[in-house]
Amino acid sequence: MFVEVDHVDKVFPLANGGRYIALENIDLQIKQGEFISLIGHSGCGKSTLLNMIAGLDLPSKGGVVLEGRQITAPGPDKMVVFQNYSLLPWLTVRENIALAVNEVYRDKSASDRREIIEHHIDLVNLRPAAKKRPAQLSGGMKQRVAIARALSIRPKLLLLDEPFGALDALTRGGLQEQLMHICEESKVTAVMVTHDVDEALLLSDRVVMLTNGPASHIGQILTVDLPRPRQRMQVVKHPDYYPMRAEIIEFLNQQKRAKKRQAELQSSTVVMVPQLPKTTLNIGFMPLTDCAPLAIAQEKGFFAKHGLTVNLQKTSSWDDIAAGVAEQRFDAAQMVAAMPLAMTIGMNGLPGVPTSTSLVLSRNGNAITLSQELYERGAQSLSELKSVIALDQDRRYRIGIVHDCSMHNLMLRYWLAAGNIDPDQEVDLVILPPQTMVDKLRKGEIDGFCVGEPWGSQAVVEGIGFVVATDLEIWAGNPEKVLGVREDWQQKNPAAMLALVKALLEACEFCDEPRHRIEVAEILSGANYLGVPLLALTPSLTGPYIRSSTDPGQVLPRFHQFHLDNSNCPRRVEGLWILSQLARWNITPFPKNWSEVLERVRRVDIFLEASRQLGQVGIEPDRDAFQLFDGLVFDPDRPLEYLRQQKISRDYPVVQIDLDSAADRLLARTR
Amino acid sequence: MTTTLQPMSSATFPVIPSPASAFLKIDQVSKIYPTADGPVTVLDNISLDVQEGEFVCIIGHSGCGKSTLVNMVSGFNRPSSGQVTLQNRPITEPGPDRMMVFQNYCLLPWLTVYENVYLAVDAVYTDKSKAEKASIVLDRLKMVGLTEARDKQPGQISGGMKQRVAIARALAIQPQVLILDEPFGALDAITKEELQDELLAIWRQQQVTVLMITHDIDEALYLADRLVMMTNGPNAQIGEIMDIGFARPRNRSAIMASSRYVELRNSALDFLYNRYAHLED
Amino acid sequence: MTATIPKSKSLSLKPSQLGKLVGTVLPPLVALLVLLTLWQIVCPEGSIGLPGPIQVWKETFDPYIINPFFDKGLTNKGLGWQVLASLQRVMSGFSLAAIVGVSVGILVGSNKLIFKAIDPIFQVLRTVPPLAWLPLSQVIFRSNEPSAIFVIFITAVWPILINTIVGVQQIPQDYINVKRVLRLSKVTYITKILLPAALPYIFTGLRIGIGLSWLAIVAAEMIIGGVGIGFFIFDSYTNSLMSQIIIGLVYVGLVGFALDRLVGFIASKVVAQEPK
Repeated sequence: MFVEVDHVDKVFPLANGGRYIALENIDLQIKQGEFISLIGHSGCGKSTLLNMIAGLDLPSKGGVVLEGRQITAPGPDKMVVFQNYSLLPWLTVRENIALAVNEVYRDKSASDRREIIEHHIDLVNLRPAAKKRPAQLSGGMKQRVAIARALSIRPKLLLLDEPFGALDALTRGGLQEQLMHICEESKVTAVMVTHDVDEALLLSDRVVMLTNGPASHIGQILTVDLPRPRQRMQVVKHPDYYPMRAEIIEFLNQQKRAKKRQAELQSSTVVMVPQLPKTTLNIGFMPLTDCAPLAIAQEKGFFAKHGLTVNLQKTSSWDDIAAGVAEQRFDAAQMVAAMPLAMTIGMNGLPGVPTSTSLVLSRNGNAITLSQELYERGAQSLSELKSVIALDQDRRYRIGIVHDCSMHNLMLRYWLAAGNIDPDQEVDLVILPPQTMVDKLRKGEIDGFCVGEPWGSQAVVEGIGFVVATDLEIWAGNPEKVLGVREDWQQKNPAAMLALVKALLEACEFCDEPRHRIEVAEILSGANYLGVPLLALTPSLTGPYIRSSTDPGQVLPRFHQFHLDNSNCPRRVEGLWILSQLARWNITPFPKNWSEVLERVRRVDIFLEASRQLGQVGIEPDRDAFQLFDGLVFDPDRPLEYLRQQKISRDYPVVQIDLDSAADRLLARTR
Repeated sequence: MTTTLQPMSSATFPVIPSPASAFLKIDQVSKIYPTADGPVTVLDNISLDVQEGEFVCIIGHSGCGKSTLVNMVSGFNRPSSGQVTLQNRPITEPGPDRMMVFQNYCLLPWLTVYENVYLAVDAVYTDKSKAEKASIVLDRLKMVGLTEARDKQPGQISGGMKQRVAIARALAIQPQVLILDEPFGALDAITKEELQDELLAIWRQQQVTVLMITHDIDEALYLADRLVMMTNGPNAQIGEIMDIGFARPRNRSAIMASSRYVELRNSALDFLYNRYAHLED
Repeated sequence: MTATIPKSKSLSLKPSQLGKLVGTVLPPLVALLVLLTLWQIVCPEGSIGLPGPIQVWKETFDPYIINPFFDKGLTNKGLGWQVLASLQRVMSGFSLAAIVGVSVGILVGSNKLIFKAIDPIFQVLRTVPPLAWLPLSQVIFRSNEPSAIFVIFITAVWPILINTIVGVQQIPQDYINVKRVLRLSKVTYITKILLPAALPYIFTGLRIGIGLSWLAIVAAEMIIGGVGIGFFIFDSYTNSLMSQIIIGLVYVGLVGFALDRLVGFIASKVVAQEPK
């Protein structure tokens, strides 16, 4: 890779002793000859990022690498074109260019250097003005001098900081085309900061969109696949042009709304009556093996350590959890991973309840269990299940799931659909509380279920079912349970929020320590939690995990993943995958403003702050494309493309989600 | 100061009252400046009729004489030939029926926001009582959302707020025509959109006729009823007048998503970057 | 109605040029005439004390006005010689001050630590009146000539030094960025960026410096004696020659004015026009 911006953070110390996180976890690879634009609203740190690539500023964390060497200082190989031109007013056009050429090409002969200077004066059509001083030139001409100066020394990397920002929109247009031709001819690698969408599209191969500061990060990357050489009128007439333009504008609009919202909240907190910090919390949970972090935080004193008194409230269905948080019976709750997103958008036609998550409590931990009957009929794999279903047209197999928004549902549907089984047409999916699944399977009311442990193992132990697939095989490391709170709760109780995340993070770390697993199982088997025999819990927690009566068992250390491998980060990319699947099965519409929804719901910033305060290395992993077991690539910059590629899918609407009025409605109701 | 000799003073052409009923009529207007190298025609025979309550944007490359044109409407400048009439009365000098808003705000830095607006109100409504004038000022400040900033000086407020003050000041004296010379050119994208929305709201509420210079095609398409596109100077003319015709009130994202928007935008781009591309020097 | 401003300057005509000259020269001449008349009225001929302008003219016309370069030995010389002697001292002291002031100023201005350490000392020293240095310099140099030059130097150096420091410190970040990105060598940086950028400030310092040194030389010469316009005035005073004092003052004023304009003229030729 030619340029690698490697997990860069930029933190500025504040006068009051605090710190301002300008950029967080910027990760970007640039190929040789590529033209990249950085776009975002003012204050998003795009110029700071450019300065770090230029070496004018250094990252607080991470680094920028150019051709394998870390950038530590500015130099002529990374030439910058500044918005205010930075020409020396006492030198003529020619002298300004000569200053750079003479300095960089010291070993060349005087005539060679002169040739280079004259060539670049011609390159930007400034021959008639060569003897003029900057004060005698128009803004556009000045910037052409700056571009000529930059290119004259053949930089490896051309960095442009809002090069045409000081010019009016129309003058800008002409210069953009000139710059484009020059870049195409000289094949220079370039990074440009801009706020002009048309400029970005015309010039770039990729447009990197940054979210607002603080803790600004890459929100989306748009690949501009327009043929080169480009010409403005051809470009705007290209069928992809306006859709791409709309996509960037949509992103910027979302950021604009977020910015306004932030400003409103800041001014309204002044008006809000200061509350005593909340320290007693009611937290809802479901008695499942992966409620371990909550149980451990309570029993091992992590809540107490962070100054919280917690009442853990056992519930019997996920609907109850959702209602409890929405109605504020619970301050927070263990939720299935898709629930905060679905609640925010509004599930089943209900109005949205903005809900956020700052922590993934567990990953994996699910299995698809089918009845012994199906096992005997030969449905021992996905393809075999398909054949069994196809053979028996009259019978509709019923498979239990726990909630529309649970990963069980999304994974089961994904798995079935990948095996060409339409989850709505060819089987019946029924929603049941997890603890009833085994019973129903035993009675033959259902033919299988997808649910968290210990119920899969329980069915195997009883000899009534077998595990046809675990989620390790479908998507290893998928997010399973998260900590959900109402957005306004988190806004009103920032200190309690942070304390809660910190306590649970430490509990998660505890749970993933192999030598603690037996103790975890013992605590969970207690009546306060699952109230099941210890032996029912150990297969998934410590192993061996047994999939069927004939299976000797296998230790699956990652069957429950509570902390390792950055498990706890509520990655936005995973949120986007969830959004795609919720839309695929028409559980919720697909939000047109998905980037805004993810920023609001998946609060990576709170997670990172908690990690930092605990001294843990929490980072948001790269927003790279990934794939599930069927190999279909999920590109986080093209979620709708992913949906289009999936053969089985329902019709879904793409709508703008009005987060702010939903949030205001909640605020009004609670006042 | 040297007074410019106008080779074709308006006196050589008898002023005939325009029979047309257009509210604001720019009638065969030319502007010629004498220079050392002989006279230069900046504007060449421009005619434009603007209806009452219409929102017209003017776009063109720098140096096309659009500022000269609106200056002749405001009365700061006079045509070398032809005339500009407002309600059939020729415009010969600036007046409170035509207010201008400039890109650089033109606020007095030593006065507060309130005082800046009051100054204009005081100058125009000489017969009103102090309380009446004060209530007009406060009303206009409220309209642009500046009630809370009334006691601040221009140095203490952002560019967007300054431009709001300038608009409030222009509107305070209830002009018939509001002339804006690239008012939002110096503002960031977010503030710019906010002010565009406010301007539209005010325009609807006050039913004022607006003439606005812009460099931004999207701004013109969102705001205007018609977009006047000018050819390059010297000898600048009206190249094309585009009827925008989106229904009002307009929704920015809705019109941007329409195919008509793309069509209009591409046609304006074609005019400005293809047919009348500006070749700088 | 507003008259339009022509875009390019119309060709200037001779009569207008003449008129312009008259316009700039005439008013001060009239003012001078009025002043002299008033003076003459207040101090009519034959009155005791301050002589009127006509009396001054008569008493100093020969030899001081018509022959500025007579030499009757010792300190009895024409005013031309006197002024030249003073100018020579000023030039030695001022040149020294310019060299030291600019070079030390660049050094201090480019280094924050040195600046922080030394600036308070400069701020205190610059308030010391020029003549207060004289006793000290006489002790050090034990001779009139060098101590006079030293006083000039110490008077002129502060404004040059302080303005140079400010000039170097205010170099816009843009230009510093150019230096950093191009990795300009020290020499190129100083000649192509630092000096041109600081030049307007340096010249402001030089202009204040030359004014101050001319002020100081007159005072210093009064004390140390020898040939020089300062001593000429002092000598006239001890001999109660009022008209000579006045003609001396006129010379001092005119030369000071000329010096200031000279530096200003050089500055206008050397300093790049600031971009708008």
